[in-house]
Amino acid sequence: MENQKGLVEIVAEKVWKFFSSVKLAVVLLIILAIVSIIGTVVQQGQPTEQYLKEYSLATVNVLETLGLFDMYHTPWFVLLLFFLTANLAVCTLERFPKTLQIVKAPLKPLEDEMLKALPFKKEITFKGGMDKAEARASKVLKSRRYRFLVSGGPGVQHLYTQKGLYSRFGVYITHLSIILIFAGAIIGSFFGFKAFLNLPEGEVSKVVYLRNEPLWDKIMASLGVGDSRVVMDPQGGVPSMPLGFFVRCDNFDVDYYSGAAGPTGMPSEYHSTLSVFDLQGRPILQKRIRVNDPLTFHGITFYQSSYGPLPGVRGKIILNIRPKSAPSSGETVVIDPGTEKFVSSINRTIRPVGIAPFAFRDPSTGEVMFRHTENNEMINPAVELEVYKGTKMLYKTTVLKVDQGQPVMPEDYVITYGGYWGARYTGLQVAKDPGVWVVYIGFILLCVGPVIAFFGSHKKLWVRIQDKKGHALITVAGSSNRNRLGFEREFSKIAEELAK
Amino acid sequence: MESSLSAVSLAKFTDTLFAVATLSYLIAMVLYISYLAFRKKKAIGVAASTVTYIGILLQTTAILLRWKVSYMMDIGRVPLSNLYESLVFFTWSTVLIYLIVEYKYKTRAFGAFVMPVAFLALAFINVAGINADITPLVPALKSNWLFYHVLVSFLGYAAFAVAFAISMIFLIIDTEDRGPLTNFYSAAGVLVILVPLGYYLAGLGEKVKVAYWMGLGVLILAWFIYLIVGGAKNKSQVYLFWSLCVTLAAGLLLFMGVDYLIFQSLHSGESFKQQIFKSTFINSSAPVVVICWLAVLAMFGFVWSQGLRLKVALKQYIPSLDELDNVTYRMIAIGWPLLTAGIISGAVWANSAWGTYWSWDPKETWSLITWFVYAIYLHARYVRGWKGSQMAVISAAGFLAVIFTYLGVNLVLSGLHSYGGMQ
Repeated sequence: MENQKGLVEIVAEKVWKFFSSVKLAVVLLIILAIVSIIGTVVQQGQPTEQYLKEYSLATVNVLETLGLFDMYHTPWFVLLLFFLTANLAVCTLERFPKTLQIVKAPLKPLEDEMLKALPFKKEITFKGGMDKAEARASKVLKSRRYRFLVSGGPGVQHLYTQKGLYSRFGVYITHLSIILIFAGAIIGSFFGFKAFLNLPEGEVSKVVYLRNEPLWDKIMASLGVGDSRVVMDPQGGVPSMPLGFFVRCDNFDVDYYSGAAGPTGMPSEYHSTLSVFDLQGRPILQKRIRVNDPLTFHGITFYQSSYGPLPGVRGKIILNIRPKSAPSSGETVVIDPGTEKFVSSINRTIRPVGIAPFAFRDPSTGEVMFRHTENNEMINPAVELEVYKGTKMLYKTTVLKVDQGQPVMPEDYVITYGGYWGARYTGLQVAKDPGVWVVYIGFILLCVGPVIAFFGSHKKLWVRIQDKKGHALITVAGSSNRNRLGFEREFSKIAEELAK
Repeated sequence: MESSLSAVSLAKFTDTLFAVATLSYLIAMVLYISYLAFRKKKAIGVAASTVTYIGILLQTTAILLRWKVSYMMDIGRVPLSNLYESLVFFTWSTVLIYLIVEYKYKTRAFGAFVMPVAFLALAFINVAGINADITPLVPALKSNWLFYHVLVSFLGYAAFAVAFAISMIFLIIDTEDRGPLTNFYSAAGVLVILVPLGYYLAGLGEKVKVAYWMGLGVLILAWFIYLIVGGAKNKSQVYLFWSLCVTLAAGLLLFMGVDYLIFQSLHSGESFKQQIFKSTFINSSAPVVVICWLAVLAMFGFVWSQGLRLKVALKQYIPSLDELDNVTYRMIAIGWPLLTAGIISGAVWANSAWGTYWSWDPKETWSLITWFVYAIYLHARYVRGWKGSQMAVISAAGFLAVIFTYLGVNLVLSGLHSYGGMQ
């Protein structure tokens, strides 16, 4: 047993030594830089059919075995990242105590044997007494914002100081930040998930469809310890994740950039109004989300991501009707295309004959022109209307969402386009990531750490003044752990000023 | 209507300002080079700096005006949003960082290397036919993060560009002699074998072409590793490396210019997009292709044979190799935290837009690769005590990664950042 314990210790020591080497860090960085290139050349996460189009079956098999189609999540790549993190952690644990010692160690006055080890030193004969020399030295140090200690004895006076002590921690802050980011990413993949939800206008869902299952659920379920919250689809479709609440798409809309002739086909913004209900159906909150401005509830965030038409579904046409005399008051009517509706406030029956997705009105002729759109995208819809008094048709007109001209409105009311509702879905990305805050703290530290490490330096400076037959012999010495050339310049200037 | 009219005239004025700024950089480039050639004529140096200051002032005004024009056009966006604007901003930051270095280190010697980078990048915009219109932003880009993300990323790239230029100076100053002529012949021989082989294999189909490029990439990588790990001790190899880098940096843009001019004279009025190098390197006529490659070889030979003269001209302005090494390090110590902040701001933005802070798309991955390379630089310097030419080679490798992250990914690989493409 004694022997075996020794072996474990030896192995542990070897592993520790392996991970504490900075050579390993450089080697790992080189390997990571090189292998990362592969995943940018081979397209990631495509369906197998796509790969078979690009490569031969044999090549696909080889790439698949190596995991190159989802390279950044393969065990060997994650292991490389883990090695780098372990390397950082061990290096930090190994070196931090020494740094702490340096930081805590009290600064001592200059002694002759220290001089040998110091990279910068100079002796100056100062014409004047020791008092004058000390006054000069104290002035020079003060002018450079050094706060110094003074000690002395008969015939000798010491001024000594250090600056930028805490810049020694910059490197540890940087390394810690990377460890935090890695930890946060692991927390996210264990307890978070990525999902999507295509939600038609007016519809409700209490599940989202998973892209990434939480690893924790997967492991617990496979160990038989607990049930996964994930609901598998019996038809072999996409597994889903219950939200624990309902989400409803109340409304979806797209804004387009406008050109000289009305809206261009280029979306400027799209937004969904989402409502959240608890499982008893009580409304909890409502938010209008847009790209870059998501909704978060119970740690689950809904991002506006895409949209599309619902094939074969007819929406409802919304029209606003108001008297010409009172532009602010009016009535909103919802009608199915092709059906009639009696509007009591104007005593007329309205029948929208149909809706076109993209139309313009020529402002000079008043003529409406129609354009083709991909997927029937509702860029600037036009509704053709028939207006009846009883069963007698009075007139036909066309209302547009954005109208460059004037629609025919012979009577004392105006009908305007209000919307087309229920024939589109909003595409939502859904994510839960409890590790993101750890990652963000890592991000902040990673912004701060290198700045402290690179732009600060731990500088030490000693001035010793010795009496030499009425004159003063000034010995000035210093060291800097970083930016030696910069310190060298500063040092020679200080020496120059002392000699004046 | 009135406002859009004044937007049009202001946009024209802005274009003129950009053109004058480009011209100033060209003049500054010539002046900085003459400053080196005519050994310490102070008047030339002062003139070079003055013209550069005027150029950057004009360019700053033009960038700000472009911002204003976008608001007048009801688009209202930061002028950092497409390939054109990012290239303009890249040159702006490079010149700015150069001027800071010039002021701080009180030397004008780097100007002859940095200003060509700035001028040629601006020339590239015109030559490659990159769309300069102020186009509206897609919804995903409408975020305040866009501004910070592009700002810090490009300031970082600019610092790396300056580091690259200084590394090139380091390598040439560090060279004692260029080695035997056989060295040059063997390098030229490798080109003579590889280039026709490339054309032959490219003719066999897309897959073979990709395989060839990948093989070439592996070769270049192996050479890098050989130079760095071998301590860059083989000085004549390092000199070859230097000659190739300079040929590539100067030659690529020069040839794009020639290509563009030939294309315009043959097919005036047609769009140059997707036509790049069709008039030269990928011309259907074999003699034209051969002549172009001979020109590249000639240029390589010229650089290789004249490098030492450049060294003699440069040497009197360079304080010491240590100082060069130190300035390169300072530049990378500025660039690396900026690149870090650029990657982080991109990650935070992606998280607020898509719910994923990292998705390993090619642009992200290449920025991380660049980050790794400069991390290697920083660690190797501190811990292994590497210095001098090895560090300069790593710095050059890093800048190659920067160029690929910035242009290569958009032009070659696909991903989330594809909006930044040529169209």
